[in-house]
Amino acid sequence: MRVGVFKFSSCDGCQLAFFELEEEFFKFSEIVSIEYFLEAQSANRWGFFDLAFVEGSVSTPEEEERIRKIRESCRFLIAIGACAVSGGIQSARNFEDFLSLYSSVYSQKYDVNPQSRPLSDFVKVDLEIRGCPINKEHLREVLMAFLENRSANLPSYPLCLECKRKAIPCVMVAYQRPCLGPITMAGCGALCPSFKRGCYGCYGPIENPNLLALKEAYERLGIEEEDLRELLRLSFNGFNKNIRSWL
Amino acid sequence: MRLRLSALTRVEGEGALEVYLEDGKPKALRLSIYEPPRFIEGILKGKPYHLIPDITARICGICPVAYQMSGVQAIEDAFGVEVPKEIEKIRRLMYFGEWIQSHALHVFFLHLPDFYGVPSLVEMSKVDKEIVMAGMEIKRAGSLIIQSLGGRTSHPVSVVAGGFSHLPEDLSHLIEPIGLALEKSLWVMERLKGLKFPDFELKDIVFVSLWEEEYPILKGDIYFEGQRIRPSSFKEIFEEFEVPYSTAKHAKLRDGRVYLVGPLARFNNAFEKLSSLAKEMALRLGLVPPLKNPYKSLLVRMLEIIHSLERSLDIVKGYKRPEKSLVEFRPKRSEGFGVSEAPRGVLWHNYAFDEEGRILKADIVPPTAQNLPAMELSLWEHIKGLENMREEDLQDMAEPMIRNFDPCISCATHFLRVRIKNRP
Repeated sequence: MRVGVFKFSSCDGCQLAFFELEEEFFKFSEIVSIEYFLEAQSANRWGFFDLAFVEGSVSTPEEEERIRKIRESCRFLIAIGACAVSGGIQSARNFEDFLSLYSSVYSQKYDVNPQSRPLSDFVKVDLEIRGCPINKEHLREVLMAFLENRSANLPSYPLCLECKRKAIPCVMVAYQRPCLGPITMAGCGALCPSFKRGCYGCYGPIENPNLLALKEAYERLGIEEEDLRELLRLSFNGFNKNIRSWL
Repeated sequence: MRLRLSALTRVEGEGALEVYLEDGKPKALRLSIYEPPRFIEGILKGKPYHLIPDITARICGICPVAYQMSGVQAIEDAFGVEVPKEIEKIRRLMYFGEWIQSHALHVFFLHLPDFYGVPSLVEMSKVDKEIVMAGMEIKRAGSLIIQSLGGRTSHPVSVVAGGFSHLPEDLSHLIEPIGLALEKSLWVMERLKGLKFPDFELKDIVFVSLWEEEYPILKGDIYFEGQRIRPSSFKEIFEEFEVPYSTAKHAKLRDGRVYLVGPLARFNNAFEKLSSLAKEMALRLGLVPPLKNPYKSLLVRMLEIIHSLERSLDIVKGYKRPEKSLVEFRPKRSEGFGVSEAPRGVLWHNYAFDEEGRILKADIVPPTAQNLPAMELSLWEHIKGLENMREEDLQDMAEPMIRNFDPCISCATHFLRVRIKNRP
């Protein structure tokens, strides 16, 4: 199996999950051939990939071209992390007037798109690993699934279930704090609620999120609709297809 | 004629190197950084102050704690918040965790393969499994510290202005892995003694670090050549400027001199303040300031790992959860500065806020932008005398020199101002 790991507009944090696998990463690289991974190796080859892991969002014309080239050169394309899945924190600019936001602009040197977009706006994505950053357990599960020729078992339910399962008190009920848990994909282990703060949405929205119910719950906490929208725009996943039209 | 190394490998982020030749001899070079800008400072404008630690963390997946610490300290500076010493100590512990894991990542995954003549750590593990496994053990200790205090290694969730949103009851589970990592680090250092380091010295470069009572990490004045400068005066002494071939800005002293931040600068400015084991090991390896060989930054990163592990062990052993993890405060119209020693060097934040604490201005200077001129200068010194350079030699020749500086290109590029060419 030939594997490639690619970086687009991002902080580099999701690729690190490969390094976080430590010994398992070495074992894995004995079984498969890691052909392209700029951060990990100085010998790289661009051929055909069975698996292409892509970190980062598409935010320049060069990246638009490169993601299409990767799609043509791979069998399965896996988006890793909030940037690749939703456009990342840099997609917060998509909701603002780019030109007035950057009125102090003076240089001419870089060709950048006004919007930062998820990979799926340009190419077919076969699988998403959620999170900002992704966690290594999910990466391991996906790698194992491909090696065992089965589908990956990743969470598809909201964060609230993780809190219930771990018996973490609901931050909205116990501390009257806003929490995006009801509409956010589980997978982090309910980190923020376990640190007594509301979820800020870094695993991105579930499919068909009930935004109306969330809005009502926030109103009961005295938080207005516009403030909820701002929280979602800054949730590192604001430009996700499941919520962008509402924002 | 132009030689081009189109994609740097085993560095964090995306860059290229171009060398211009005349009559077969190098005439000029440039490190061209093409990592796309993400406009983090622009996005912060108009947003509430409390988003600073979570959003600026995303500038860098390798050193998010540094961004969180400089960020919250800038907020606290603006709103006049005094954080108790006991909470500050826990911040230091978390920061040590980041130094350990970020340095270990660089030393083992990115840098050390050069000294073994192999393309990756995976290949290295086939030649010298023992040292690779020791590296993993060391890195894990750093990760565990951050996870215990902040939930996860990259983009931890507990750091807020005023302290922590929540602190664990107990940290005693960290004693064993930290102790083990310390043992392994000392063993690794003994092994590294035998490495051959190319002869090379940085010339005319000013070493800039922070000044603290202890070896600098969390806060302090900016220090170089015996001078101490308040963080609020940073831009009076240092100048950031754009270069046409790079999406990352460069920085120099206003008098035009090139400077370096990071492990070598800290070592040279604060050697005496290293922990006892780190200092002892330094002397045993004959490492004393001024240390000007950038290849030996590998050893200095290891010394800083030993220092961090030793200090962490002290903090963990004496840990008692503070009664309050957080100081309460009210925002006000004001401006604040926050500065700390990221693994790669001085990281400066500056914000202005309105009455409600919304951000009016955000300005961040990361270490790698400050180090780019020193990197270019060193590369130039390294290749200027060479003849008959070929493009295929460029990678082997130039990349090891670049890796000495542990550039984090993702960090360096978050803030570029650009002209927009495409409209939807």
